[in-house]
Amino acid sequence: MKLRIDPLKCICCGLCENACSLNRDSVLTPMSSSIILHIDDKADYFGLVLKTRNEGIVLAKPEGVTTAQQASSSGGPGAKPILLREPCDLCGGKPKCVEACPVQCICAEG
Amino acid sequence: MHLRGGLSLYLRNGKVGVYDLSKDESSEQELEETATWESSSSVLIAKQLAEEHGADSLILGTGLLTYSFLPAAAAGLIRGPPDPDGRERIVPVLGFAGSELKLSGFDFVVVKGKAETPGYLWIRDGIIEFVRAPEMLETDSWKRIDRIRADQGDNEIQVMANGPWGDNRIPRSQLVIDYWGGEDKVGMGADFGAKGIAAIAVRGMGEFEVAEPEGHFEDAVLLMREHIQKLGKSEGLASYSAVAERDDFKKLVHRNVACYGCPFPCRSFVKIEEDPQELRLLVKEPGYLHFDIPALEKAFELGLDARTATSAMIVCAKAGAEPYTVLSMAGSSGKVTPEAIKALLADSSVAERLPPDGPPGNFERSFPDGEDYRRCTGLGLCSRYWAKVGFDMGTIGPFAEAVVGRRLP
Repeated sequence: MKLRIDPLKCICCGLCENACSLNRDSVLTPMSSSIILHIDDKADYFGLVLKTRNEGIVLAKPEGVTTAQQASSSGGPGAKPILLREPCDLCGGKPKCVEACPVQCICAEG
Repeated sequence: MHLRGGLSLYLRNGKVGVYDLSKDESSEQELEETATWESSSSVLIAKQLAEEHGADSLILGTGLLTYSFLPAAAAGLIRGPPDPDGRERIVPVLGFAGSELKLSGFDFVVVKGKAETPGYLWIRDGIIEFVRAPEMLETDSWKRIDRIRADQGDNEIQVMANGPWGDNRIPRSQLVIDYWGGEDKVGMGADFGAKGIAAIAVRGMGEFEVAEPEGHFEDAVLLMREHIQKLGKSEGLASYSAVAERDDFKKLVHRNVACYGCPFPCRSFVKIEEDPQELRLLVKEPGYLHFDIPALEKAFELGLDARTATSAMIVCAKAGAEPYTVLSMAGSSGKVTPEAIKALLADSSVAERLPPDGPPGNFERSFPDGEDYRRCTGLGLCSRYWAKVGFDMGTIGPFAEAVVGRRLP
């Protein structure tokens, strides 16, 4: 199983971040999630960054989805960078981010 | 876990930050445990804090449910001194600023006194600091946000910024929250100006326990799915107001944007400086995020097209001026052009010619009853969303009890 992200469906609600942390640490916080929003709000440019076990960093930008071993941007030095986070464990087969996403931006496949 | 009197404080920091600008010092006090929904309201707690710390204090606050999984649990608030008729003045704080304030380590922040030298308040991770920056008063609200994010090295800092109108204490000023106006319809910018505050910035790495994490999550997701089924396809602002159904507006819409936790966004970003279909990050300031229904209605009533209306909103937001007021004044003078609006914004005598009545509410008019607006905002929920889906404590109560772990009558 893997997560598939359609960034143009994203509405930037942040529920995926919070759901991921809830599964990992049973607390509400954006800090321990494997998936984070990337936002340039003034330009209305936003998408998701996901740390995976097998594909490295998945960058779901509005113009397309790419993978990389290092993220070029992850919310700035004031936030916990994606590289310091745990990779997605798919919540043991029932990904919480998929459940929480109101617009089917994140889907589980395979 | 935060404890008070043997009770666990779920989804709360348990802390009120107090910053005295006159003494340049910060302190903390405990947030008292609350026994009922009514006494949990951030609107009520903000009022009590103002009574304790002085009527001229500004109170920033978050609701008990802010940052929960309940749909649209995005709301914080700013409370200012009452108006001359004694009416309460509240600004809902939406987008990600309400949730970020809670994550900053404080449930409430009291700002009292007046700064000798203007600057911005920087609240993060349980710390409140006043950064002197008098040169900020020479810049517009957007440049203040850019400067704070650059200085502190984090593009996701949430900023409630004042502009020149607020600095000059013009009663119809408007705070912008992360570049956009629409929440402040009570002239809170003038209150910032009176205290020498150019902006308030928040960021945090907080975490919160809830009483029944799995139950809360599963129930909230089920409720959200019910709402989505009932609401149908989201059209952004057009789903909430006919004002955004015009063809010229729809042609300029780039994407619709949610506040924290909202499955049915009311914010539509309109691009006027590049093709609205452009997906790449090319232009730094391509347009404006519309959710100010009365201001947009006024612009169209005066004959502006969507592009010119958006342009007018941008210059008002940068100036920290309430756009309904500015457009009404331009309309009264018979000159509703971008040049006339810019001239009006720069006019140093504008305060003497303001219309006697303030602008209509934006989020305030979500409900016919102002009490429902205060109750909903006081819980940390967006009034616009919950007015749409039906605000009912009978529904919300059990969800909230899974968060706080006890029954609140």
